Amino acid sequence: MKFLPLFWSGIWRKPGRTALIFFQVSVAFALFGMLQGLKTGVDHAAAAARADLLIVHSRLSFLAQSLPAGSLEQIKSVPGVKMAVPVDIFGATYQKPTQGLGVVAISLVKDWPAAFTFTVAPEYLAAFQKLRTATLVREELAEKYAWKIGDRIPLMSNTAQMSGSTDWAFDVVGTFRDSDVGSGRDNILINLAYLEEARFLGKGTVQHFNVAISDPKQAATVSDEIDRRFANSPQETKTESLLELAQANAQSIGDMNFLIRAIVAAVLAALLFATANMMMQSIRERRVELAVLKAVGFTDRAVFLLILAEALLVCVTAAAFGLALAALILPLAAALVVGLSMPRIVLAIGLALAIGVALISAAIPAAMAARLKVASALVSG
Amino acid sequence: MNFLRQFLGLLPVNLSGAAQRMGSVLTIVVGVACAVGVLISMLAMGVGVERQATGNVRADRVILSSTGARGNQSSIPKDEAVGVRDLAGIKKGVGGAPIVVFDSLIPIEAHRRVTGVRIFFPLVGTTANFTEYRPEIRLTDGRMFRPGLHELIASNPCGHQFTGFEIGDGRPIRGADWIVVGHFEEGQTLQCVVYTDVDALMSAFNRNTYNTVSVMLQSPADFGAFREALQANPTLHLEAQHESEAVRERFIGLKGILDFAGYFVGAIMAIGATLGAVNSLYAIVDSRRREFGTLRAIGFGSAAIIASILCESLLFALPGALLGGALAWAFFNGLAASPFGYSFQLAVTPSLGLIGIAWALGMGMVGGLLPALRAARLPVATALRAS
Repeated sequence: MKFLPLFWSGIWRKPGRTALIFFQVSVAFALFGMLQGLKTGVDHAAAAARADLLIVHSRLSFLAQSLPAGSLEQIKSVPGVKMAVPVDIFGATYQKPTQGLGVVAISLVKDWPAAFTFTVAPEYLAAFQKLRTATLVREELAEKYAWKIGDRIPLMSNTAQMSGSTDWAFDVVGTFRDSDVGSGRDNILINLAYLEEARFLGKGTVQHFNVAISDPKQAATVSDEIDRRFANSPQETKTESLLELAQANAQSIGDMNFLIRAIVAAVLAALLFATANMMMQSIRERRVELAVLKAVGFTDRAVFLLILAEALLVCVTAAAFGLALAALILPLAAALVVGLSMPRIVLAIGLALAIGVALISAAIPAAMAARLKVASALVSG
Repeated sequence: MNFLRQFLGLLPVNLSGAAQRMGSVLTIVVGVACAVGVLISMLAMGVGVERQATGNVRADRVILSSTGARGNQSSIPKDEAVGVRDLAGIKKGVGGAPIVVFDSLIPIEAHRRVTGVRIFFPLVGTTANFTEYRPEIRLTDGRMFRPGLHELIASNPCGHQFTGFEIGDGRPIRGADWIVVGHFEEGQTLQCVVYTDVDALMSAFNRNTYNTVSVMLQSPADFGAFREALQANPTLHLEAQHESEAVRERFIGLKGILDFAGYFVGAIMAIGATLGAVNSLYAIVDSRRREFGTLRAIGFGSAAIIASILCESLLFALPGALLGGALAWAFFNGLAASPFGYSFQLAVTPSLGLIGIAWALGMGMVGGLLPALRAARLPVATALRAS
């Protein structure tokens, strides 16, 4: 610790230069933190998805195929199934063609929210049960369009009513929150019984069943058993847990890995050049001082370590600052990817990289300083 | 005049010293190259998306959807769709029938060959005359689907990317096996598209409305007349768009996200590179303090010194831009990407190169400003005393 003032004075020998290199390293690691955080954050969020909720949908297509509502009893009879809720989905637009939203029609069986990732306040839940044209809107969506309880929202869709009209209107009775990362944010919930009665086509079919199981560890067994019951029927099913679905979603972003790695590599390459150049410059200017240190008894080794320590101190504090900045900015990117936060592992990797950059870029200048000939340095200086 | 002579005299002196200050010069070049390379590579995604989406667009094609709705949301009853055939300006095809195509679109899932990841592709039900509407479609293998049957033709990228698209493969859809009978090529697209007979598709899915109606005009100039005829007809509640406009609406969101990400990351890297350039140029100026002191003492003006250093900074940034652009082209041009399940090729174009050069000159300009001012402001006496 007694050397602290020594390398402190080395670092602040040229405050302008140190400040510039500090900010350059900070900026580089802020970028690293954001890119890596995006990737790792998505993976982590996917891994945190619920394993105890299953989606039973048609084997042919997740979106475009429907299942007979009558499959419900067969699904319920599978051991391990706690609850099964029929769900239908259709797309609609609000006011403008570009303002699309998903209408999720749910069969309002007792305790239905237990089979979903939704959180609904009890008073909203009660109101939702009471009114047939009621809708619960996702909090973010209510904010986006400034919908309030009591509003009647008109929607356009390609789902026809009995009258032939494809326009629908629902009464907002409350809001809900959704903890699932994969689901879109522009969703509203309606009563499946009402949809079933009002629609012209598709009566008696649903898009999928939400299934809650008693033991998350049995997810694979229960899924297989459900699919086995419908095997070789015209309505084959595919059952997946929300965990599996989230992982598939994360993989589609994972296609970008190569690009993210290339960017990080470019950032580090530019940084290595900059820090190495900065250290070289610094050593060249301090030949005399370093020679004096050696003359008063500092060993080559001590001088070598002194220079390395200087580079380490600047790089690691700057990287920590940059990563902290990224951790502050990253949640703002949640607009693109829901539920994003910076996992610790990214911080750890970032700091390790900063140490690596410092050691590599300072190695040659430090070796030059260590090999400095006292006499010639003092003479030439 | 004096300024110009001084400036032209100084510049070669500045540049001739570059060899002795290789470390600083390399820091600028590499920093700028990395920033420009990353910017261009990321923008190449947006360009790739646009290129793929608009590659087959023709000015004489019009897409109709129900008023206020797009794509899957649009729903056009059959009798309304038939009414479009009588509108003015439509090109006549073989046998004198107007080239009007009815489409119904259903997203179907497929699985990636290597990873097994699920991805959705559009299954487009269309009418038999669609080859007149889409002359760019060329069967490369097998034959066309037959009306009324459960037969599919798939674009070549389908087979490259996903399983189950070989000729003769049956894809189970709605309780029946639909057979892949042909492969086709449709320009330079990587997107998987599958066509089948619209009536077979709609009866399988219990649909009674089309999604869109597409029309080929006699010439692009007939669009106005066609739209007037459409609006004058009270039984048609449809909106007409140029194909380019309809296609643009579909990709503009994705391109916006990709471009934003590109400029965001590019800007951060540019800040880093600029800081590096400032540091390096300060070092260069500092090592030449005596020289600048002498120049000032013998009558060189501040403006000429500032201009010569700014110019030096720009000249160091320029090779960085070229290097970055070349690296981006070498690594990423033509690379297939599929973020969010949409497949396309990255395209590094000359216009992106120009953006990269402009970006680099910006970095050089900003990075050179402070060091140039310092060089011009050095007090002559102290500068001459410098070691």
